[in-house]
Amino acid sequence: MLEIDGEKPIYLQIAEWLEKEIIDGTLKADDKVYSQYQLAELFNINPATAGKGLTILLDAELIYKKRGLGTFVSSNAREKLLEKRKDFTLRRLVRELLDEAKLLGIEEQQLIRLIESERKGRA
Amino acid sequence: MEVITLRDVTKKYRSFKVLDQITLDIRRNVITGVVGRNGAGKTTLMKMIAGFTKETSGELRVFGERPFNSLTVSANMIFVDDRMGFPDAFKLEDILIECDRFYENWDDELAKRLLEYFQLPLTFKHRVLSKGKRSTFNAVIGIASRCPLTMFDEPITGMDAAARKDFYRALLKDYIAHPRTILLSSHHMEEMEDLLEDILLIDGKGVGFHGPIIDLQEKFLSLQGKANALETYATRYAIIHRSMAGPLTEWIVDNEYSEAELNELRQAGIRVAGVTASDAYLAMTGQAGGGVDDVFNAMERQ
Repeated sequence: MLEIDGEKPIYLQIAEWLEKEIIDGTLKADDKVYSQYQLAELFNINPATAGKGLTILLDAELIYKKRGLGTFVSSNAREKLLEKRKDFTLRRLVRELLDEAKLLGIEEQQLIRLIESERKGRA
Repeated sequence: MEVITLRDVTKKYRSFKVLDQITLDIRRNVITGVVGRNGAGKTTLMKMIAGFTKETSGELRVFGERPFNSLTVSANMIFVDDRMGFPDAFKLEDILIECDRFYENWDDELAKRLLEYFQLPLTFKHRVLSKGKRSTFNAVIGIASRCPLTMFDEPITGMDAAARKDFYRALLKDYIAHPRTILLSSHHMEEMEDLLEDILLIDGKGVGFHGPIIDLQEKFLSLQGKANALETYATRYAIIHRSMAGPLTEWIVDNEYSEAELNELRQAGIRVAGVTASDAYLAMTGQAGGGVDDVFNAMERQ
C-alpha cells in the first residue's frame, strides 16, 4: 500500500509513484508501464482512479501508447522529470521549510547551519 | 450506457416523503458508493432499484424496464444486506445450490473457496451464523453471483476489520476480472472510498452530490489555524463547514482559490490541505454550526 497522507487524491499519488519509478530507473525508456488494472490490483483502488493516474503521465508525454500493446516509457521521460522536480518539487519543499522556520522563529543563519549539519551527517 | 435511470422519482411511505423527485443515471460497469446520513433514504432508493418496493411517482428504469415485478431485473440483479432471508432449514450448501440454479453467471468454485477462506462450513445453517459471519456469507453470495447489477446495502455490518478488508479486496479483484455495475452503501466511507469510481450522496431527500469521487476530492479545501487568524478571512470565503480540529479551528471551503491566495493564507500561519472524499462527505452532511458541541454549549449557558 502507498503511504496515504489523506490529503492528495490517490490518482496523484499513483502518478507520483510512477514518476518515482522512472526517476530511480526501475522503469527505463521504452519499458512497458503497468496497465490500469495492474495498478488497481497493486494499490487496491478502482481501475478508473488508476487510469486517471496514467492519464497524467500520458498528458505530460512521459509515457506513450502503442495500440494493442500497452503503454511505454518515453525516451526522454527521466530527463523531463528531473527538470520538473528541481523546478517544482524542490521549490515547494523549500517554501514549506521557510514557513516552518518562520513559525518556529528560526533565523536564516540557523537554518543554513541545520542544512549543513544534515548534509555532513550523510557524507 | 446507463443501467439505471431515474426521472423525478418520488417515494412516499403513507404521507411521509422519503425521496423527493430524484433524477439520476448510473453508468454501466461503474462502482458507485451510496452514502448519506442515517435515514437519508439510501436503502429505500436501492430497494426501489431492486424492484422490492414501488416508486410513488416518476420514471424508474433498470435495464430499460420498470423494476417492480420485473423478471429481467430480478434475474440480473442481486441485493445483499444483513436481512437477506433464506429458509430456516437451509444449510449454506443448499443456498449455494439454489444460487447456482438462479444466477446465470454464478461461480460455484469461487463461492466455495471464499467460504472456506472465511471459515464458513457448508454444513452450517444460515440462521445460526453470528452477525459478522452472516454478513460475510451474504457478501460472498453477492460476489459469486456476478450479477450485471450487484447491490450491497451496508454489507460490512458486524464484520471485523480483517473481514472487511478481505471483502473489499475480493470485490475489487472480482470486479476487475468481471466488470459489472455495483452499488455499495456504507457508513464507513473512508474504508471503501478507494474502491469507488462514483459517489452518490443522498441528502435532504434528494441528490446532494453525484459524480466521480475524484471531483468530490477536489471540491473543497481545509483551512486550519488559530481562530483569530482565520476570522480575518471570514468574509472572503464561503465556509461549508466549521469545526474544531483539536485546539485549532478548521474550515472547509470551496476549492476555488489562486495559488497566490493560498500562499497568503499559509504565510498567515494557516494550514491549507486537501479534503478526502469522506471528509468532504462529512462536511456536506454535517449540521451547520458547531456540530454536537452546540448542544453542550447551549446547556452550559443556561
